[in-house]
Amino acid sequence: MTRRKTRLLTSLVLAAAATLPAAPLPAAEHPIVIVIHGGAGVIERSRMSPEREASYRAGLSAALDAGYAVLEQGGSSLDAVGAAIRTMEDDPQFNAGRGAVLNHDGFCELDAAIMDGSGPRAGAVAGVHHVKNPIDLARLVMDKSPHVLLAGQGAEEFALEQGVTLVPESYFITPQRVRELEEAKRAAATRAPTAPLPIRPQAGKGMGTVGALALDAQGHLAAGTSTGGIDNKLYGRVGDTPIIGAGTYASESCAVSGTGQGEFYIRQVVAYDICAMVAYQHVSLEAAVHTMIHDKLKRTGGEGGVIALDHAGNYAMDFNSAGMHRGVRDSRGHREIAMYRDAN
Amino acid sequence: MYAIAIHGGAGAVPRATLSPEREQRYRAGLEAALGGGYAVLERGGSSLDAVTAAVRILEDDPCFNAGRGAALTREGAAELDAAIMDGRQQRAGAVASVRHVKNPVELARRVMEKSRHVLLVGPGAEEFALEEGFALVPNLYFRTPERQSQLEHEQRGERVSDLVPPAKGTVGAVACDRDGNLAAATSTGGMTNKRPGRVGDSPIIGAGTYAKNGVCAVSATGHGEYFIRAVAAHHVCAAVEYRGLSLEAAMRELLHDILSGLGGDGGLIGVDRDGRIVMDFSTEGMYRGARDSAGRSEIAIY
Repeated sequence: MTRRKTRLLTSLVLAAAATLPAAPLPAAEHPIVIVIHGGAGVIERSRMSPEREASYRAGLSAALDAGYAVLEQGGSSLDAVGAAIRTMEDDPQFNAGRGAVLNHDGFCELDAAIMDGSGPRAGAVAGVHHVKNPIDLARLVMDKSPHVLLAGQGAEEFALEQGVTLVPESYFITPQRVRELEEAKRAAATRAPTAPLPIRPQAGKGMGTVGALALDAQGHLAAGTSTGGIDNKLYGRVGDTPIIGAGTYASESCAVSGTGQGEFYIRQVVAYDICAMVAYQHVSLEAAVHTMIHDKLKRTGGEGGVIALDHAGNYAMDFNSAGMHRGVRDSRGHREIAMYRDAN
Repeated sequence: MYAIAIHGGAGAVPRATLSPEREQRYRAGLEAALGGGYAVLERGGSSLDAVTAAVRILEDDPCFNAGRGAALTREGAAELDAAIMDGRQQRAGAVASVRHVKNPVELARRVMEKSRHVLLVGPGAEEFALEEGFALVPNLYFRTPERQSQLEHEQRGERVSDLVPPAKGTVGAVACDRDGNLAAATSTGGMTNKRPGRVGDSPIIGAGTYAKNGVCAVSATGHGEYFIRAVAAHHVCAAVEYRGLSLEAAMRELLHDILSGLGGDGGLIGVDRDGRIVMDFSTEGMYRGARDSAGRSEIAIY
């Protein structure tokens, strides 16, 4: 990626931001919008085969359109976020649901969260092994329990009570993830036990977390995130994804979903902090996201990206890793799928 | 100035239902924890060691809903959550749903210092504990007759007696040491009759526990789900950092405007960059204590 391209991109983003309304629009006038990500990491064109790239683009495209279709039919932002994430959970390319990365002991432990910005209501699950679509279970926690976060066996007990069909652990495990775990274990042998685990080190290997944000016709924002975490993680490790405020957050005016080295996102309460900067420091969404990703997060050594969306339909997709799988579609006619630094 | 504050839970604590003997026991428990934490600061120890010491004492005291004497799940077991955060580098460690770790705050600290992770839950967290040389204890260790009868009352749909600290209770500590480093820690058994696997705000960095040098350290107690949705502890720090509110004003806004608006109640303790302690609650009472090097020393319930 060239510096000139970065500058060009920045100026395009700034130009776009300048034309967007600064104040909230009446309900009938704001666009409907969906923004998704499929993980951040070393995503570079030079390391990506054309077939694999096409396959990722198709996966992102399917998720984006599934979410957008819900909004277009007048559905809620919550339903749109659920539909987009479910699509990526079912797609083994992404590190969520089927095809999630494996923990040190060789099985998947899945985390997910969803938040309704107009509540605010939230639901999350952590460390589930047998739930096909963790994002749906997170939604059930929000809708059908008095709690926000359920973990492990207790979460699966709740799933059964809610009539969710459990699947065997083998459903989630793909041969590629088994190979990747072996590589990760070899690499880990050379690192100190407290050194942060890298998010997927190479292109072509399934990337991080998946997430989606939506603004519906009623002007309601929602955010959701789902992940298998980081491969070779300790049994029981929970990242930022199911932590409201860290990897997932939505208010009436601001929604964020993160992907990256979760421990850094938890410590900095990344998703909420972006919304707090916008609300309290009166900076734009883009500027707040930029400060978080390229200053606050980077300064502590954290790698990854976020997507963010506000109640007027402004969005930001930014990362300090080489690339991030991402997409946006809105009723202003904008549709974009990208994975590299240069907006492609 | 160095300072420490502790809490032992918030909720309905009607004076009439608390016998003098019992009130004396709680005060003695709070005093022991406050003194234990303050002694660390006094001899030049870190705020991190001070909050660990104070919370450990509250965990060991069966009067409080953390460690021994924790509230029980609907299946009658203790499931414990804890977190600790070091304001200096904003390092953090937390554990959730552990059933056999005598002092969850110590395991949270170990997660922070000896693993690459922040939050470990359930059997995986206990596996890590064993690898780190912790001796596990049977779940029976945590269960007290008082908590068992409280659970039975709750399950029969009877009004829960206020004789023991309320089911919402949690313990926590915040401290500022001689070097101005801030730390916060929180530990809890969660709500009585909770669903197994339910995780409240205590181990959620930003919700029940948060510390950032130069800003503040906060520990929360109350109805955890509301504190999670409001990202309570970080909200307070963000209001101080970004809006220049005093810690007092930030905590008041969170408890009495935001959480009350959502229908949640509870309490917060916090210490700011100058070592000033603030303790506030929207419930009838909060078991609490504060001591600093400028001579403040108090234990209070109502």
